[in-house]
Amino acid sequence: MRARDEFFIGFFPIPPGLRPFLAAIAVALILLFAAAGWFAASTQAAPEEAGFRFDFGRQEVTGVLSLHPYPVIRVTEGSERLAAGRTVMLSGGGKFAPPQAAALDGRLVKAGGVILRRGDLDMLQIGGGDANLAAAEGEAPALSPPERLGRWRLEGEICDGKCAAGAMRPGRDLSHKACANLCITGGVPAVFVSAAPVEGAEFLLMAGPEGGPLPPEALAFTAAYVSVEGEIERVGDLLVFRIDPATLRAL
Amino acid sequence: MSVSYIPVQWNGFKHRYNLALALAVGLYLWIFVELGPALLGHANPITPQIHNARAFGSCAFLMMSVILMIGPLARLDVRFLPLLYNRRHFGVMTALVALSHFLFVFNWYFVFTPFPSWEALLFSNTAYDRALGFPFEAFGIFALLALLILAATSHDFWLSFLTPRIWKSLHYLIYPAYAAVVAHVTLGAAQGVRGLAFPVLVWSLALVVAGLHLAAWRKERRAAAAAGEWVPVCRPEEIEEGRARVVRLSGGERAAVFRHEGRFSAISNACAHQNGPLGEGRIVDGCVTCPWHGFQYRVEDGCSPAPFTEKVPTYRLRLRSGTIELDARANPPGTPVQPLEAPR
Repeated sequence: MRARDEFFIGFFPIPPGLRPFLAAIAVALILLFAAAGWFAASTQAAPEEAGFRFDFGRQEVTGVLSLHPYPVIRVTEGSERLAAGRTVMLSGGGKFAPPQAAALDGRLVKAGGVILRRGDLDMLQIGGGDANLAAAEGEAPALSPPERLGRWRLEGEICDGKCAAGAMRPGRDLSHKACANLCITGGVPAVFVSAAPVEGAEFLLMAGPEGGPLPPEALAFTAAYVSVEGEIERVGDLLVFRIDPATLRAL
Repeated sequence: MSVSYIPVQWNGFKHRYNLALALAVGLYLWIFVELGPALLGHANPITPQIHNARAFGSCAFLMMSVILMIGPLARLDVRFLPLLYNRRHFGVMTALVALSHFLFVFNWYFVFTPFPSWEALLFSNTAYDRALGFPFEAFGIFALLALLILAATSHDFWLSFLTPRIWKSLHYLIYPAYAAVVAHVTLGAAQGVRGLAFPVLVWSLALVVAGLHLAAWRKERRAAAAAGEWVPVCRPEEIEEGRARVVRLSGGERAAVFRHEGRFSAISNACAHQNGPLGEGRIVDGCVTCPWHGFQYRVEDGCSPAPFTEKVPTYRLRLRSGTIELDARANPPGTPVQPLEAPR
């Protein structure tokens, strides 16, 4: 009897003529899944070099804290890895701004934490409690005013600075959009990853048109390739991009 | 078939079926999660939670694709029918793999935020007015809910409780769920991979699924369609002993005309269990036997043999000018009909 004539009934033994076919199907299914697993795994793009730098050890710096548009510290007394004169973005644990920062805007502070680094993007993740972020003795020194670099039109991606710096790998692209929005809404600095360097910098801290946090409508454009216009100013060694949300375009 | 409900009816075939399935799924996940990164040698590995989410998500998509291929393959080639027999276990396993994908995503992207995680899942991205950046999570949530509903109602208790018609309609949810998964992957994961290989894989599978359904549909359309009270079926000698000829009626129903011990009887083509195609079954021990799950009906009255209680409608037959004709007005399920004697 040909296999096509065999009639399978689940509660009876498999007809002998069907057994080779079913065995072949089982082997084919297993091989198909193995091959698909390998193929799908091989399509996963290698994340860029970024991440927590626990190997640097805990960094402790002194500087002036600013919460506008997002928490940054302008370092006056540096550490081994964060020199005086740097302007470093800050985050707390998870998708939060450092909670201790709220009462310290404009004050001289001591900050301690671990560096996240991707290229020229540095972020300091501040640990919990006063031991990691508290007012330092003395008055905040006068700092150089922002240097205006004019109006620019940039192409690139709006990210949250923490994941883009390697807290997640990958921490960019559309599959990461919801996370980016949660980070930015939670107070983690928003960053523009420019397709072409601006004054030598690939990453710019983002701000709304008045210098505050990104307006809510900008969240619709995160994680996608966009163009946007705005004013750029240099604050210490960090470029700040004050965007005009009306000019946001998905490309 | 069973006269009482037990959680799972096991037999040797189901054990072997599930073993092959578990091996296939386990191998996929092991290669993706463990072997892939080691062999690819990424200097900066993908975050494990994200990598796991991708492994389980892509595996669930492959499993859904294979599940949806089984039905049309069985219509095109009866040797695939045994794969259909235990398909519900395949479906439950798929729901569990998809749930694992969700948990990896949910417990990574939507935690450690200032907002409750469920709120974060639903409202962190509301860009529903654009393709790039569309909240693809919504498609995934819909598909997962559908898979969980189908898995939870896969037992025959629910089939009986909901009635076959409602149960079958509910389980057609698998099609919108599959379409939602294709959209979920296309607008989400496929945007973050290297090159076009992954999107091509996803769409190739989806096109194979669609193509097989189209081929099976075309084959079904070839079944003779007829209108009127008495409709011609075929000449008696065209039906093999123990087999049937299916005829499509004007109302969309199908009837199966069987030849048993040289005489002809007609019953509904739809099994009372899951609407399986009885006309593609055989007569075993004097009973029409469904090719999907082996439910049986006496050919003369459409009743399952005692102690079983399932019934299907029957039809009257007559012979005119050497052709079997069927009365398109179905008898109530379980109505005895005198078989039509074959001409000498």
